[in-house]
Amino acid sequence: MDNGTAMISVEGLSKWFGPFAALKDIDLKVDRGEKIVICGPSGSGKSTLVRCLNGLEDHQSGRITVAGLEVMNDRRRLEQVRLKVGMVFQNFNLFPQMTVLRNLTVGQTWILRKSQRDAEALAFEYLEKVRIPEQAHKYPSQLSGGQQQRVAIARSLCMQPEVMLFDEPTSALDPEMVKEVLGTMTELAGSGMTMVCVTHEMGFARQVADRIVFMDEGRIVEEAPPAQFFQAPRSRRAATFLKQVLQHHTAMAEA
Amino acid sequence: MTYDFQFGYIVDTMPALLDGLLITIEVSVISIAISVVIGIVGAAIRLFEIPVLSQVVGGYVHFIRSTPLLPQIYFVFYGFSGLGLQLSTFWSGVLALSLWGGAYNIENVRGGFLAVSKGLREAAGSLAFRPIHYLWLVALPLGVRISLPTMLNTAVSVLKNSAYLQAIGLAELTFVAMDRVALDFRILEMFAAIGVLYLGIVLILSLFVRRLEGVLQRPFRTS
Ligand SMILES: Nc1ncnc2c1ncn2[C@@H]1O[C@H](COP(=O)(O)OP(=O)(O)OP(=O)(O)O)[C@@H](O)[C@H]1O
Ligand SMILES: [Mg+2]
Repeated sequence: MDNGTAMISVEGLSKWFGPFAALKDIDLKVDRGEKIVICGPSGSGKSTLVRCLNGLEDHQSGRITVAGLEVMNDRRRLEQVRLKVGMVFQNFNLFPQMTVLRNLTVGQTWILRKSQRDAEALAFEYLEKVRIPEQAHKYPSQLSGGQQQRVAIARSLCMQPEVMLFDEPTSALDPEMVKEVLGTMTELAGSGMTMVCVTHEMGFARQVADRIVFMDEGRIVEEAPPAQFFQAPRSRRAATFLKQVLQHHTAMAEA
Repeated sequence: MTYDFQFGYIVDTMPALLDGLLITIEVSVISIAISVVIGIVGAAIRLFEIPVLSQVVGGYVHFIRSTPLLPQIYFVFYGFSGLGLQLSTFWSGVLALSLWGGAYNIENVRGGFLAVSKGLREAAGSLAFRPIHYLWLVALPLGVRISLPTMLNTAVSVLKNSAYLQAIGLAELTFVAMDRVALDFRILEMFAAIGVLYLGIVLILSLFVRRLEGVLQRPFRTS
């Protein structure tokens, strides 16, 4: 079998939506503590891949193992997997009828069966880490997008996962808020968390990623350390993609 | 000849009418409460697509919504006793109205559940929430808020439809009024009186739900 340090192991993963093959024969290993950035054009299967990792999407063939558990379409097993895997979404998905604090404690008290006191203590610890302890008693709708996303990150961390998945966590944010969220993610990376991030923030990728995974049309086309990927992408598709992303960024910066 | 409208007649019959009104309120409030419970349980069964039960619930909703209420009432009143289930007139009425309102509430609550964003369900799933946690902590508090207006419609319909229970001899408001009409022929007085009484309780019911909506919206205040 594989070496003991693999936190995520994907072997021969394929996934169809009806007749459409969204993922084709994906192999991927992520070591404990490793940070992976997944990028690629729209529709290339990035979201589908990370969603397969915690079973939000079912897969038809191949084998996914996360934190020692095989991801299978079985409710109990998925609950076990999801206890070890946190996920941050593009749209935050905070519970709107709960205060920030309750968003952070509800999983701890109901799922992990911790006392309210312990749950709140940990919640405040993470709110400090994402630098918004003063917002604890507000409702999500009263926060800016960047603040909401940081709460969402803290909410996931409160469940003390071993892996964090991010699916374009900054694409719904105004440019000035992107930075604060990437800052939080960078600090999290520094703490040794295993992270799989779908993002087009190439600055973040360069700074934080151990490896870039480039996808196109449901396949992993290229996998390389950031320095190599950015300077000398091996595939033409990656080169074209990089050019587009960089152009887009320059345009954004000039706008 | 002009009709000689006698207010005095209404005053005289008011005690009897109020007895009827009390029955109407009792049967309606109990039926509305049960229909809300049926709505929530049924909608949850549909939401999680629980095998077999989900189909049963779907069939039940379809059946209730595509047949008239009056035969449903007869069916419960005569049919159930034929099956050996002895129910009083009152509880037969409650059962019939609850089943009727419950079917509509299943659709109402289901609409509310479906309006809760898919993203919240995924977020709950990612936090390892079980279906029951998602239901209790997310779908119900958000979905029921969304479906309150349609549930109010159903509640008002249950209240109004309680008048059909006169068909099985329940002495509710309409029954009492019709009884007096048959005795004294003071048609306009009786209909004016029960019209006002029905309007009054529907108004109270609506105000109650508005209050409830106000209370439930509070956590969403953005200021
Ligand atoms: N539920 C679904 N049903 C059918 N097709 C789907 C579904 N979800 C995704 N797809 C298809 O699968 C392909 C991959 O989608 P995916 O969302 O993984 O792409 P992505 O790389 O995340 O794109 P983006 O950058 O736009 O988010 C797309 O062609 C998409 O249309
Ligand atoms: Mg995507």
